[in-house]
Amino acid sequence: MSANARIGRRFYWRHVLWGLLWPRRHEKIQPTLSGVVLIGLSFGIGTAAYNSASNILFIALSLLLACLILSGVLSWLNLRLLEWQLEIMPPLRAGQETEVGLLVRNAKKFLPTYALWFEFAARPIERGETARPESTITAKGIDVWAALSKVPESSAGRTVHLRTRLDPGGEARLDWTFTPARRGLLRIEVLGIGSLFPFGFLKKLTGIDLRTDVPVWPAPVEYRRFAGAGPRRPSGDLQQARAGNEGDMIALRRYEPGDSHRLIHWKASARMGRLLIRQHSAQSSEACSIWLTCDAALWTRPDQFELLMSFAATLAQDLFRAGRLQAAGIDAGPMVAMRRVADLESFLDRLAEARPLPSSREGTAKTAGMGRQQINLLTFEPDGARGVAAFINGNKAAAT
Amino acid sequence: MLLSIATVFYLDIDSESMAAVAAAGVLLALARPALPARVPNWAHRLAFPAIVLFFAGDLWHTGQLLPAIVRLDLLLLLYRGMSHRARRDDLQIIVLGLFLIVVAGVLTVSLLFAAQILVFTACALGLLMAVTIAASTEGGQSPKLVVRGGVPLWAAHADWARLSRRLREIADWRLIASAAALFLGVIALSGLLFLMIPRFQLENSLFLERFVTKKAMTGFSDSIKFGDITEITQDDGVAFFADVSDSAQAPANPYWRMVVLDEYRDGGFRMSSSLKSVQVFGREHTEANIRPVGHVVRGAPTWTFYLESGVSRYLPILGRFNALRFREAQNFRYSADLVLVALRDEPATMTAYRVEGMAADAPELADPTFAGRWRNRAVPSVLPLQLGLALSRDDKDALARITASIAPGAAQAPGAFARSASALLRRQHGYSLAPRIPAGPGDPLVRWMSSREPGHCELFAGALVLIARSAGIPARVVTGFKGGTWNAYSGNYTIRNSDAHAWVEVWDDQKRAWLREDPLAVAAEEAASLERGDAALAGRTDRSWAARINSIRVFWYRRIVNFDQQSQEDTLRAVRSATDNSGKWLRAGIMAAARGIKSLILGPWDVWRLVRMAAAAAALAWVPWMLATGRWRVTALGRGRKGSPVRREAGRWLTRLDGPEALVADLQRLRYGPAPTWPKPSDVFRKARRAARSRRRRPASFQSIS
Repeated sequence: MSANARIGRRFYWRHVLWGLLWPRRHEKIQPTLSGVVLIGLSFGIGTAAYNSASNILFIALSLLLACLILSGVLSWLNLRLLEWQLEIMPPLRAGQETEVGLLVRNAKKFLPTYALWFEFAARPIERGETARPESTITAKGIDVWAALSKVPESSAGRTVHLRTRLDPGGEARLDWTFTPARRGLLRIEVLGIGSLFPFGFLKKLTGIDLRTDVPVWPAPVEYRRFAGAGPRRPSGDLQQARAGNEGDMIALRRYEPGDSHRLIHWKASARMGRLLIRQHSAQSSEACSIWLTCDAALWTRPDQFELLMSFAATLAQDLFRAGRLQAAGIDAGPMVAMRRVADLESFLDRLAEARPLPSSREGTAKTAGMGRQQINLLTFEPDGARGVAAFINGNKAAAT
Repeated sequence: MLLSIATVFYLDIDSESMAAVAAAGVLLALARPALPARVPNWAHRLAFPAIVLFFAGDLWHTGQLLPAIVRLDLLLLLYRGMSHRARRDDLQIIVLGLFLIVVAGVLTVSLLFAAQILVFTACALGLLMAVTIAASTEGGQSPKLVVRGGVPLWAAHADWARLSRRLREIADWRLIASAAALFLGVIALSGLLFLMIPRFQLENSLFLERFVTKKAMTGFSDSIKFGDITEITQDDGVAFFADVSDSAQAPANPYWRMVVLDEYRDGGFRMSSSLKSVQVFGREHTEANIRPVGHVVRGAPTWTFYLESGVSRYLPILGRFNALRFREAQNFRYSADLVLVALRDEPATMTAYRVEGMAADAPELADPTFAGRWRNRAVPSVLPLQLGLALSRDDKDALARITASIAPGAAQAPGAFARSASALLRRQHGYSLAPRIPAGPGDPLVRWMSSREPGHCELFAGALVLIARSAGIPARVVTGFKGGTWNAYSGNYTIRNSDAHAWVEVWDDQKRAWLREDPLAVAAEEAASLERGDAALAGRTDRSWAARINSIRVFWYRRIVNFDQQSQEDTLRAVRSATDNSGKWLRAGIMAAARGIKSLILGPWDVWRLVRMAAAAAALAWVPWMLATGRWRVTALGRGRKGSPVRREAGRWLTRLDGPEALVADLQRLRYGPAPTWPKPSDVFRKARRAARSRRRRPASFQSIS
């Protein structure tokens, strides 16, 4: 998963002028301590120059101002024609360390780039939420502090420095390692690029619109399994073919990197002109399906609901790994057959964004109407005040 | 730091020893970077209070604020130079150094200031850039240069030779050329800003000068002893520059009048108290202009003088003038009768003033006031008639004998008498800068006149004054400068201290004026002094290297130090007219080029011409083609032919080390791996150094076993 951006390809004066009147988001120039001293020095020398009409002081003033201008020009040249690409390697899991890479390229022909930093940020968002001013916190009195204190819990951010010189045409990768706190949709963005180059007088921050939204899967949890409560072996036409490596061939699919060469169907590949892979059915029929309901009436405690998501995700992964996951579904949504890894990932993506829903008859009806699928259907119920239990065929199969 | 400390040596504020100590301390810390770490912590804690106490004591003791501040600055620089510092301390050093340089510049208005502040700016910018880049390699944190209670690693292993080697390795001509171009850009930009910064006069005088008491450096005061002027002539330094708006009217042999000395007593001439009185010299004024009443010279050029500090508080002037303008209000006294301008204090910096309508080469100085007094000399007056001879009777007799030998017959006119007396003096005495006055009783000047010993200008002038007064002619000594050289590059007079001179003015009642008589000037020289312009300047023109350097100094004074609101407006007008003219020139050039191309196309064509044209076109297309196809490549900055210094250093360590494995792997990664995967090079090289040292320390027997 990646996102690209670049700055400085074209230069327009109107952009500069508008930028002065109406700075872009995250774009600011702050004087550092050196800068404040230099500006104060310039004021002092300027005042003395006008009071004394001394051209020596005017020379000193001109040099100081020229240094400030040079600083701005060099800073602009330093940030010009930079390109970057955000690289995130999914999956992201709550509670597990994740690495976000930023590939920076200096597209200038002659000038190297020095002393940059990038401001990374990650914050949970709701799908389809509208943009609003981030600084607006709606709360009263002491609640403001409570609202502010929540911000670091869910958001993460860090400044990552480019430690080496970036030669003309050169590339460098900056890595930001962080741990997503919760499951959900996470917006990872590079808020801005900053630099103190060349003399450290001004801290220049330029906003860059580089963001990508990635789902964060629920954190894995430990659970107990109960003996004797396994799936039953259905008979006859109740058996369903699903992908495996042991049984009969059920389909052909396109070759993907990582597939075993032994599975290539050479004759079909020769006919179609592209590599095709044999897909076999699994021998074992002791498969089960997962279905969970997000009924808010059932899952009244948020912590317990989060545990449900983690439990379901962990079970789904374990069962898929064991080749025993047939299908999975959430609430009134369709039961999706888990044939490929992509099916499982899709299910985990849905788990990442699942929220407790108000009670609906549709969900209950679906549970009742599943007919034969209710056999070996793994469902979940609260287990006490904090725990979650999984049931199969009415038996408690596992619990957290 | 050393650059700013050096300014103190020409500030003349009695801080040379402290500057020397500060410079020595900084040099010591440079040579032994580990030394500051050995300073105990209590010394650091006591340093600041001690410095403040020293400043308070210094101020109380000397009562001069600016020298005390300069010494405080030196102490702070010494302390910072002798201690390991963090990034914010670098800024302190820059500010302290800048203060010293600016103060020195304001107080001296020297051209050296320009060079110094430029070098200082380059060093300061280089330091700040290095610090910024170093901080970025440490992840935005300043490198840890200070270690409490110990010697930091960088100081313990500081090796200047190695550092210079590294700098040589990474030096690339493109980088150096770019830095130089950038710095020239800064200078150009600051020059542009200097021209464009709006100027308006707040009618305030220099604030820094008030805090320093400048010592008089020469003998141009209102009291001199014989030999003072000659002593000045030993110095070849520039006393002042004089610009003239029309060089065609430049005199060949100018006499720059500064001081009039009328009283002879105790073997020396001085300006009498009555001459200095309010009746003659007037009251003190605080103005920027002097406008004498009743004197109007038309068509005379405008002169601009740049009088160096330490010459005198009396301003050199050639003669009567219409107006004299300073850059800013000054405290001065002006004598219309003597045509002298005396500032209240010795100027601490170069003093610039413009004189309009000046009688540049008049050998006569009309003085109607003295003429009136001379006519009514029978009436007692406190004002001097400049006839006094404070001599013993024997001396007066001896003087009378000499006078009688000059005019034995009929009475001569004062001018002719003075010329005869001068000729007599020249016949009897040679010229020498090291004269000997015969020992004996009586007045030394009379003794010298009675001898045949050689003498200098003061003795000649003094003797002529005594002779003239003995003959009943009012006379006085005038000191100043004579002549000077004409700088061929900047087109101005350069008058050096070696041009210091003393001559005489005798009163001619017929002309109602003082006549200039230089007893050392020969007749041919007097005749040549009437010449003007190029012919007059031909013999004075200086084309030496010193003249070239002085022309830069004059440029500095003319265009930089003397730049004011009027100059700014003149510059803007000049730029505007140059822009207009450039537009015309451009249009004319384009039209001429178009006509040329047209005539080229319409001209008769033959094969040979066709070939020549094709060759020219090919030659013109060749350069862009070479660039476009990459045959000529403009290499980017930072990609020198020598490659990365980190890779080269890693390569060197790999040839010397064969273990440990982890270190070798790191070195190999630095040598061959892509830069983003590098471990921190400084850490790896530090480990390599340790490994190399441990190998060297290993006992010889172990080596033989292995």
